[in-house]
Amino acid sequence: MDATRPRPVGVRVIDLHKRYGATPALRGLSFEVSPGKIFGILGPNGAGKTTALECLLGLRTPDLGSIEIGGTDALRHPRAVRSLVGAQLQDAALQDKITPREALALFASFYRGAADVDGLLERFGLAEKARASFDSLSGGQRRRLFLALTFVNRPRLVVLDEPTAGLDPRGRHELHELIRSLRSDGCTVLLSTHDLPEAEALCDHIVILHEGRTIADAPPAELVRTVESGGRIRFAASGAPNPEAYATLAAVSAVDAAGDAFILHSSDVHQTVSALLPLLQRTGARLSELTVTRPTLEDVFLRLTGKAWPGEAPADGPREVEA
Amino acid sequence: MKTGLLRHFLLVLRLNLRSVQALIYGYAVPVFFLLAFGAVFRDDTPALKHEMGQILVITILGGACFGLPTALVAERERGVWRRYRLLPVPISGLVLGTVIARLVIVASALALQTALAHWVFGTPWPLNPVLTTVAALAVTASFLGLGLLVAALANDVPAVQALGQCLFLPMILIGGVGVPLSVLPAVAQKIAGFMPGRYAVHILQQTYAAPAGLHGTGFDFLALAVIGVAAALAGSLLFRWEAGHRVARAARLWVPIALGSWLLVGTAAGLTGRLRPLPSAGASFDTITAADIAGIDYSDLPGDHELAGRLDPPFTTLEQSARIAPFVARLRAWPPGLDKTDPQSVRSLVCVAAIADISEDPREGQIARAVFDCLTSRFPPALLRKALAWVALYPHDGRTFNTLPALGLNRRPQIDIVRSRCVVYAKKYLGRLEGTLHD
Repeated sequence: MDATRPRPVGVRVIDLHKRYGATPALRGLSFEVSPGKIFGILGPNGAGKTTALECLLGLRTPDLGSIEIGGTDALRHPRAVRSLVGAQLQDAALQDKITPREALALFASFYRGAADVDGLLERFGLAEKARASFDSLSGGQRRRLFLALTFVNRPRLVVLDEPTAGLDPRGRHELHELIRSLRSDGCTVLLSTHDLPEAEALCDHIVILHEGRTIADAPPAELVRTVESGGRIRFAASGAPNPEAYATLAAVSAVDAAGDAFILHSSDVHQTVSALLPLLQRTGARLSELTVTRPTLEDVFLRLTGKAWPGEAPADGPREVEA
Repeated sequence: MKTGLLRHFLLVLRLNLRSVQALIYGYAVPVFFLLAFGAVFRDDTPALKHEMGQILVITILGGACFGLPTALVAERERGVWRRYRLLPVPISGLVLGTVIARLVIVASALALQTALAHWVFGTPWPLNPVLTTVAALAVTASFLGLGLLVAALANDVPAVQALGQCLFLPMILIGGVGVPLSVLPAVAQKIAGFMPGRYAVHILQQTYAAPAGLHGTGFDFLALAVIGVAAALAGSLLFRWEAGHRVARAARLWVPIALGSWLLVGTAAGLTGRLRPLPSAGASFDTITAADIAGIDYSDLPGDHELAGRLDPPFTTLEQSARIAPFVARLRAWPPGLDKTDPQSVRSLVCVAAIADISEDPREGQIARAVFDCLTSRFPPALLRKALAWVALYPHDGRTFNTLPALGLNRRPQIDIVRSRCVVYAKKYLGRLEGTLHD
């Protein structure tokens, strides 16, 4: 093993509870992250993803439960843990007139053995903007600056809260490559996302949160296998009957419209297709498209909660809390 | 870590210099206030010497009530403090760095004002620069405590403006900062005793322009320390690093505790007799000591029969008394000189002698004698001595008349000449009371 590489750290979260006034945000969240893995926390808006990460980073104090990072009690020794962790948060910004070089130099000056500022500027494509003020940077450049800040202390655990939200496809691709390279460099990565394909593509292990609780905790492929018979059926037909008729088909749990086509979420593709074709025939509809998609994490979520995945969700949970 | 805190402190200073808004509020507005005061008091000689305390406190108030909390709250709203929270240092270290940076920014604005006052208006440099610097830093530190509390309570930048004005305007209008305490009504003066601005102006004015230096400013320092520490403590306990945070209900109790310190200071000032109305004399009167009176130099006075400063011998004949009797009757009934307990009454009466002398009134020597008789018959000797010393040592304090139509003295000499002549007569009268001068 390369001696210059940081030694990755693991994370153990046990029975975490957090309440904002009368609203519970976390209700007994537990999970364990193995060192050197990419771990995803998934969940729709309000599931408790950001609250969980903020508890882990010491930004919030949980009402109950324990958090260990690299074997250190993160609740009792938050500052010791912060030296091990690099984090990219939602809703963070910098002063208008600060430059990327100043920001990196400032944050680096709080750590022993911090990363080289010029190296970070180069690595994150900010060398040409090193002396530009923050308010003159584009959205993508700002995002890269925050990522660079995440690595300023050579972290052994990287926490990324919705890292690809708002990025264009190229930006997402670059970030995915970066996250994979972190794993190869010996970092543990803990990321939250509501983007299920992203989690499926990136993560070694995921937990799915729903209303503050863990409803699934396994590698993505293993979770998908649990709903092997399920999937989505996309079809288009001229003269199709009222969409409400599809909801009554066997094993259909939800129906989405997609332009002229419909998407049926099914817990048993065989049963649903067997019922769909006779229905179309009876009503005289003419089928022009029929696609069956293999089960995904969306289907896992559907099976576990009985609800379709809600899609884009920019924010997570209540933000107003008691100081 | 220490390098980080120092770097953060220096960065706050640098970013302040890059912000047009910060430069306007931090430096342009104080310069505007200086020029406004200079325009009003340009005829004084030397100009602004007796208003510098007020001018400097206005700048400190601006930096504390608006500058510091606006910077802190704007950064909190943007999420900067949320990002700082991830650093392996206590957030209090970064807040302290921001406060100290603001102290430096305010101090630089004060230095700029002092220099501009000297170069533009000819205002003298502070009598004791070291004491003035110490006083300015102490006053600024105290007011920054208030700024920290404003930052903790305000949910956003507009709320900073609203809360800041709640502190700024009352102190400017009735707190002895903008409008001098000596021209405020007695009730307003008492109210000002419950506000820190009054004590701040006293400390800075005295260290800037009075030979007494820090003498007699102990209570002022104590008042500012109590108010500043209470506010800083409450501000620290209520500090919020994230925009969405609400102040916890229990923690809100610190707000009345912080404001209670104002009540405590005002009550203590009242109980120790510091809230006696000073309709005109000003705070400098209180600082005059027996040593000050004994140290007054009479060697530069003109003779009693010379053109300037004429003073006739005591009236010895009925004819002499009868000639001036109508004037004496009006003088004795003249309202500004009636209050036997008010040093300003003494100054007002001395003005009569000075104006008659400058106007070359045919009765100038007799009027000066009549004024002296009126003073000695009306005022207790101790008060009279102290009040005459006050006129001699602080010619710019209190109210000086330069025309007295009620007494038939209608010419309007320049106010500075009247002040200067008042010094002559005050010394002549005081010298006689002290036995140094004789008729």
